[in-house]
Amino acid sequence: MDPSGALTVELTQARPIPLAVSLACTGGELLALVGPSGSGKSTVLRAIAGVYPSARGRVVVGGDTWLDSASGHFRPARERSVGFVFQNYALFPHLSAEENVVQAMGHVVPAERVARARALLERTNLAGLEARRPAQLSGGQQQRVAVARALARDPKVLLLDEPFSAVDQVTREKLYEELATLRRDLNVPMILVTHALDEAAMLADRMCILHRGTTLQAGTPQAVMMRPASPLVARLVGLKNIFPGEVVEHDPARLVTRIRWQGRIFEAAHAPQFAAGARITWVVAPSHIVVHRRDRPSRGERENPVSGVVERCIELGETTALSLRVGAGERADIFLSLPTHAARRNGLAQGVAAGISLLTDGIHLMPAAESLTIS
Amino acid sequence: MLQGFVAWTLWPMASDLAAAPADAPLIAAAADLRFALDEIAADFRRATGQDVRIVYGSSGNFRRQIAEGAPFELFLSADESYIVALAREGFMIDDGVPYAIGRIALVVPAGSPLKLDGELVDLAAAASDGRVRRFAIANPEHAPYGRAAREALQKARAWDALQDRLVLGENVAQATQFAVSGGAQGGIVALSLARSPEVAGRARFVVIPDQMHAPLVQRMALTRRAQSTAREFYAYLQGPQARAVFLRHGFAAPA
Amino acid sequence: MDTTALLLSLKLAACTVAILAPVGILVARWLATREFAGKPFVEAAFALPLVLPPTVLGYYLLVALGGHSPLGRWYEATFGHPLVFTFDGLVVASVIFNLPFAIQPVQRAFEAIPEDLRHAAACCGLTGLQSLWRIELPLAWAGLVTGAVLTFAHTLGEFGVVLMVGGSIPGETKTIAIAIYDRVQAFDSPGAGVMSAVLLLLSVVAIGITFLASAKRRRHGS
Repeated sequence: MDPSGALTVELTQARPIPLAVSLACTGGELLALVGPSGSGKSTVLRAIAGVYPSARGRVVVGGDTWLDSASGHFRPARERSVGFVFQNYALFPHLSAEENVVQAMGHVVPAERVARARALLERTNLAGLEARRPAQLSGGQQQRVAVARALARDPKVLLLDEPFSAVDQVTREKLYEELATLRRDLNVPMILVTHALDEAAMLADRMCILHRGTTLQAGTPQAVMMRPASPLVARLVGLKNIFPGEVVEHDPARLVTRIRWQGRIFEAAHAPQFAAGARITWVVAPSHIVVHRRDRPSRGERENPVSGVVERCIELGETTALSLRVGAGERADIFLSLPTHAARRNGLAQGVAAGISLLTDGIHLMPAAESLTIS
Repeated sequence: MLQGFVAWTLWPMASDLAAAPADAPLIAAAADLRFALDEIAADFRRATGQDVRIVYGSSGNFRRQIAEGAPFELFLSADESYIVALAREGFMIDDGVPYAIGRIALVVPAGSPLKLDGELVDLAAAASDGRVRRFAIANPEHAPYGRAAREALQKARAWDALQDRLVLGENVAQATQFAVSGGAQGGIVALSLARSPEVAGRARFVVIPDQMHAPLVQRMALTRRAQSTAREFYAYLQGPQARAVFLRHGFAAPA
Repeated sequence: MDTTALLLSLKLAACTVAILAPVGILVARWLATREFAGKPFVEAAFALPLVLPPTVLGYYLLVALGGHSPLGRWYEATFGHPLVFTFDGLVVASVIFNLPFAIQPVQRAFEAIPEDLRHAAACCGLTGLQSLWRIELPLAWAGLVTGAVLTFAHTLGEFGVVLMVGGSIPGETKTIAIAIYDRVQAFDSPGAGVMSAVLLLLSVVAIGITFLASAKRRRHGS
């Protein structure tokens, strides 16, 4: 018996959906499973829950094996003690909120069921709405009933399948806060499936990227989004400044690796795993690009300076998105964003010449890609 | 068994409301006997206090059903050959007895252009000159009255012309229905049905001479399932009161 | 008005519904929730009586259940009377003939239940039977009512099969539809008219109930 209650999942199959999944989540940790539509995220959740009978692989929770195809072991969902919040909530439409929650309490003494259900509904901010049917509740309230019902099971694993996708922005932000509060008291592994990176970054302790049924990388949101393992992951986490390059040499004393791109030499974060002369792909996150100020030059301008012409300059409320066309020889665009007031102060507009610095720590090296488009 | 279960759980009143008790013997009777036999059964009930349940239909169908095990106790056929066949196959206790001789009649409903000609000469003419578009008889395949009608039509040399204009009744009662309900210009049906009050109001009829068809010797026999009431009824049918009723309904006495 | 025939018809309809209700539910749920090779053929087989001429069905039932068939002979040896020409034989024929009416509306109702609800029930710890009883049946209720009512009404009106398999034995197999036929042949128009009006009324009520049930389901908003 594993007291931490950790969840490990390994799924390998070719049909009906190809899966090559490997992930782990300890008790009390919230793992975001992120990927584009059709990547198999829901299938993975269903395999963990036990409602996907064709799953092939292993699912172990707290030392307890729920699935082991190799030995033919399959525990059905109703014996697994799983809390599942479905994308469309899957509330029983003919039962009230309270009755919905009570359904998950088969393991509780009948005399206590109603009281515990009411307590859970109160914890999810639904006091007073216990008798209402789902059709009489708003989207946000339905989601809370779904969460209450999942928690009512005293689950060993909590699974949430895009639980915020069906509500509006304002409600969503309120629900984020509520989830963040609720999970503080939960010591079980929690997996949140979402295609929204910002949601994952906001709520999750760790993030796992799924693409076409294959888990590509797992780690903290910062690690995955700043140091993607491959150009594919970089694209999937929304990074745009992905370019080919070549390692020139390593400088272990200063902890930098020098790379060549378009005839320039940049100093990137130290990446000794690549041999000198190796072809690589490099990426720089927007947060590590600094715009040179027109009026007052600063120290940062000496790190990997690049100059070019503003190709696109789009004001999106308080933020302005820019692309800077740089390049001797092949044309390349570097994307960045900065506060609108700063953009205006620097007089940035389409066609204007500008200079930027790529901070060394933000230049991350990855293996060379076959091609830079996601196939 | 199923009947009992349902009756007990769902329909407590069902058996009380049956018209004749469920154990009254089942009698299979040729369709032409409807009015005559209903009267005889009523007389029988008055005389002996016993009931019978009569099912009317085509003799050929009954012959098949009895061979399949249908629970009839007495079979009054319009054709001897069916009784003889069933007896030979072992379903009847004996060969039975003839109880009446059937006669056929030409019926002409009100408004029809046909003439009342028992020798069917006018009918033959009407077939050629287009006055008759539809003509009803019972199905000669399994109804004795249909066979007799066909023989008479062949004798009158009207069969070929009429053949594709025939409306075939499943039994002679249905043929009578077709003949008088307005869909046909006439028909050849059992005399006993043609002269009944129900038909007389809508059509005229004329008897067809018996030389025009083989005799319709109507024979009856008890089946192996026959119990006492059925046997008593069988005897009653051969008695003077029943005979008088048959004669009144247009049947001839058996030879 | 042949009360015996009417009661016989009602009894036959009630028996048929009583047998087909559990069968219909189980088969419909199975077909609604499982995929397997050959499923279209199974569904077609259950739907066959819808398009099969009644006399064809009557013929095959006679062949299968009649006095010469192994089943028929076994039945007669065991119970002392044949299966055909009896009420029990009618029930067998009626159950077969009504399979599509008992299965299809119920199957559609089960199919209309989102699969996630079944998964949610499983995740709540409910067994298959608990899920069926507490979640699926209440949601499929309109389909069940439709199936039951259609079966009932269809049985009341069944003629061809009843005539071939049952004969026309008063109190045993002479249903109201056969009685109407019989009255017409006896030139008893008023008698036939009264019974036809009763059947017409029952049919209208049946259709009314099924429409009400589906309207209620739409308002339920499952």
